Amino acid sequence: MRNLILKDLILNKKFLSYVGLFYILYVGVFGSRIDNPKVDIIFITFLSFILPVMIYTREDKFKATVVSCSLPATRRQIILARYILGWLLMLIIYVLDMMAILVAPGHKLGAADLFNARTIFLALALMTLYFSILMPFLIRFGMVGFFVFLISLQVLGVITLTLASKKMLNLDIKAWVAAINNAFMSLNARLGTPGYYAFLLAMMLLLSLGSFVCSVFIFKRKDL
Amino acid sequence: MDMALEIKNLRKEYKSFTLKDVSFSLPQGFIMGLVGPNGAGKTTIIKLIMNLIRRNAGEVKVFGLDNLKGEAEIKSRLGFVHETPSFFEDISLKDIKAAVSLFYKRWDEKLFRSLIVEFGLPLEKKFKKLSHGMKMKFSLALALSHDADFLILDEPTSGLDPVFRRELLERLSGLIQNERKSILFSTHITSDLERTADYITLINHGEIVFSLPKDDVRERWGIVKGGKELLAESYRKLFQSIHETSFGVEALTLDISAARRVLPAGAVIDRASIEDIMIFMDKGDVRA
Repeated sequence: MRNLILKDLILNKKFLSYVGLFYILYVGVFGSRIDNPKVDIIFITFLSFILPVMIYTREDKFKATVVSCSLPATRRQIILARYILGWLLMLIIYVLDMMAILVAPGHKLGAADLFNARTIFLALALMTLYFSILMPFLIRFGMVGFFVFLISLQVLGVITLTLASKKMLNLDIKAWVAAINNAFMSLNARLGTPGYYAFLLAMMLLLSLGSFVCSVFIFKRKDL
Repeated sequence: MDMALEIKNLRKEYKSFTLKDVSFSLPQGFIMGLVGPNGAGKTTIIKLIMNLIRRNAGEVKVFGLDNLKGEAEIKSRLGFVHETPSFFEDISLKDIKAAVSLFYKRWDEKLFRSLIVEFGLPLEKKFKKLSHGMKMKFSLALALSHDADFLILDEPTSGLDPVFRRELLERLSGLIQNERKSILFSTHITSDLERTADYITLINHGEIVFSLPKDDVRERWGIVKGGKELLAESYRKLFQSIHETSFGVEALTLDISAARRVLPAGAVIDRASIEDIMIFMDKGDVRA
């Protein structure tokens, strides 16, 4: 396991250094202009998720998965290493990005806005969602399939919003968001704050585990 | 006898190609050449041994262990060279070596360095800057540097110049002087096999034509040339494959001594080379 993670770090060290530095500078400048912590978190968690994705798409691009799979490791271990390294990178880059916002001149949010239980859980939940849903997709369809999927989602979003704005589609996004928000608030009220956070954490772990099992299933059946 | 590799009824189905219930084995301490025309199924067999593709049926055992159940243990004792070496293109050879060597307890840095010098490889250079032959040499250096008990090499001599190819084959022969080590290599260069292999497995259209010790092939298989009288039914049963030419008849036999006893005096009988067998195979059906 350790060797698989080290291998990916060695093979991507320059890439990670350059892209990581760019991320910190970029987020430091643009993130510090935003005055809503939720918007900052949505923006930065997605960027943080893209970093490990880029590492695995690099492997796909160079057709180097054959090399990984010919090393003394099982496919399950390879996926587990990807999940562990992916999470490590996401968390590290997220924290560094947040710190970059806080040190950027003229930043609009303080440490208390960005680092509190609510924002930390929101960030973890978003990262879990992105990573758990999209990793099996990336493993199954590779780099091209992954980007086609993301672009298709965007196109679908634009079409849906256009149709909704022209009243051709009965879609009340605000009501949906409010319903989800209410569901979480009532859960919080019923379980109490510690129980609510424990429940959220358990859900995140369950989703990650489900995603991992799914990715292993897919990867074991993949012909290289 | 301990077996390095045992394959039984191995099957892989693609839309346009099927590897059909292949079986053969390689005892420890020997070199086996896997030979056949392009698209015969050589790489498919190697990928199945390495679990790079999923089998539809059959069994693969390496060192007596199932290749799926004992995957990590088996691969720690294997040296593998893929027909198209594919590492991260924008990384230096030094970094690739650092990443790969982590996985092998018996990694021999001194041997790796000496191979790098011998093969003329620039460690600081990025992988993408190498020619195909250099990439193959680098891949070989990695495979040879961790004291592997079993080398699986897919077309290792492709893209190599004749001098280096000869040196490599000599090195491979030298490796098995230690009777623990075994080598399976695929090729369509038949002279490589004549020079190095102890066993030859010939494959065509996804089926094994034969898997035999090289000496058996040499002693048993023959080419018969003669007049149309060789087409007589009593002679035909001696031939695995027969072709009429404008000059007469050319046939392949797997019992050269019977052919010498039975065939008329005018028939010319020579030992068949692997290349002869492959050419016959290309013209028609050949069965051992």
